[in-house]
Amino acid sequence: MGFSEYLAARDFLTFIGQPVITYILIFSLLQGFFGILYLLKKKYYGYLIKCSYITSGLYVLGFIFLIWFHVQIYNTVVIEYPVFMREMIPADESRFIIPLWIESEKLYFWAMIASILALTVQRREDIVSFTGIVISIFSFIVYFSSNPFIDPLPIVHSEIAGWYSALAQGDAGIYQAAGILYGRITYYYNSTYMWVHPPMLFIAYAFLIITFAACIFMLFRHVQVYDEIAYMYAKPAYILLTVGMLIGYPWAIEAWKDSAWWWDPKISGSILMWALYTSYLHARIYANRGKMWKITASLGIICFSSLVFTYLLTYIVPGIHSVVQT
Amino acid sequence: MKSKNYDYYLIILTSLILLAIGLVCIYGIIYYNFLAVKPEWSSLYAEYIEIMNSYLYPFLVLLLISLGLCIPKRLLGQDILIKSSALILGATLVLTVIFNLEAGLGFILAVMIGIQSMVLIMTFRKSRAVRFEKHGYVVRLGSSLLHLGLVVLIFNFVTLRESPSHILIFWTGTLLITAGTIFALYPDRITRLWYTEQ
Repeated sequence: MGFSEYLAARDFLTFIGQPVITYILIFSLLQGFFGILYLLKKKYYGYLIKCSYITSGLYVLGFIFLIWFHVQIYNTVVIEYPVFMREMIPADESRFIIPLWIESEKLYFWAMIASILALTVQRREDIVSFTGIVISIFSFIVYFSSNPFIDPLPIVHSEIAGWYSALAQGDAGIYQAAGILYGRITYYYNSTYMWVHPPMLFIAYAFLIITFAACIFMLFRHVQVYDEIAYMYAKPAYILLTVGMLIGYPWAIEAWKDSAWWWDPKISGSILMWALYTSYLHARIYANRGKMWKITASLGIICFSSLVFTYLLTYIVPGIHSVVQT
Repeated sequence: MKSKNYDYYLIILTSLILLAIGLVCIYGIIYYNFLAVKPEWSSLYAEYIEIMNSYLYPFLVLLLISLGLCIPKRLLGQDILIKSSALILGATLVLTVIFNLEAGLGFILAVMIGIQSMVLIMTFRKSRAVRFEKHGYVVRLGSSLLHLGLVVLIFNFVTLRESPSHILIFWTGTLLITAGTIFALYPDRITRLWYTEQ
């Protein structure tokens, strides 16, 4: 097992994954189309549901392929540290246990959970239609800008390729490559926090899409059931959001130590989002009083805007969570 | 003021304070973006943290006062509550002027932890002296745990950052908040679980 097996697995993932993501795009666009038709003409709900099930199924199938690829990375790539380094670090070798929500896979993961959750609101056909449109937008973005199959895990790949290149070149490059990889593997990829903190947040985000949809309908139609649905999905989301965010704190202390992470834009954005959702849940206690329902529904929409804003911060503002360089 | 109105305005006040904290965060994002592109960013970072903390702390004090008005309402009558809150606020201001804002915050947080622990114990014992806006034992217990956890966490962040027990206290606060949130948001399910097991 080695680099060539890893490369073969990577190529195979692209080979089997590309058709899946293409079908996801097709069916989710159909889902969005039927969603719009249902909202306008109250027709074709059966087609919409069928497309929703197929899209969700395809997302899950693609996710299974991604799991397979991650297992292959674990099986094929072994970082054996140079003897000199073994005296300084508590490991002779490392393997990548790559989480399934990094790089281009995170938007895919979020879209998959959202797609599955949308199926649980079938008693409200309008919400299913609306989330169908959201999922089609999601899938469009995934396909064209965050496709996990076209160039699987580019950063991980460059690190693995860099390691094997250093091995081929000899001693000088190995120490530096091994030192960097040890930190990345220990405190990032293989960290328990990495396996808990991001998925909790992404699952929370998926729940909050339903809350967002219900708040929009509540604002424009003022039917009590929308408020109840919004609240029903906001509750687990809030628990996951709160705990997920808090779990990031000890991880940051462990991994970033003295780095500039406190008041990092992503953290500020997350506190903003949390404060808004706390505010929403507080205001909702009196949703039935006077015009409070308007305020809570509007707050629910503002909250979701802050969620999207927080997610995008990684790509638009520099910071320790960010991919943007200063 | 009627109790219902009092709770309503308290919730509105809390929501507004949370929105203000959100605005501080937006300012932080913009300010970080402005500073991070400067070549001397690494030397500016400590100053940036100080500035952001100084902007956040007044709203944190307000949030604590709002919690302070919320927490003891379960123990005290409205008149005594407002007077005692004013007293705590006065003491916080005096400590802030004499020492610094962190000392003032530390004081108000310590008082809140004491009061909330008392509320939690009394709620757990089903004391009739504790008043709650929402009915139901599990909701009350959840609300008490949640408020205590929040105050413990803020206290930990403000005054115990360098303490060796910082992480332990952090996990304690997190556990209290998690349990409190679950209890407060899913009282019926917890109650059913409780009675099924009994």
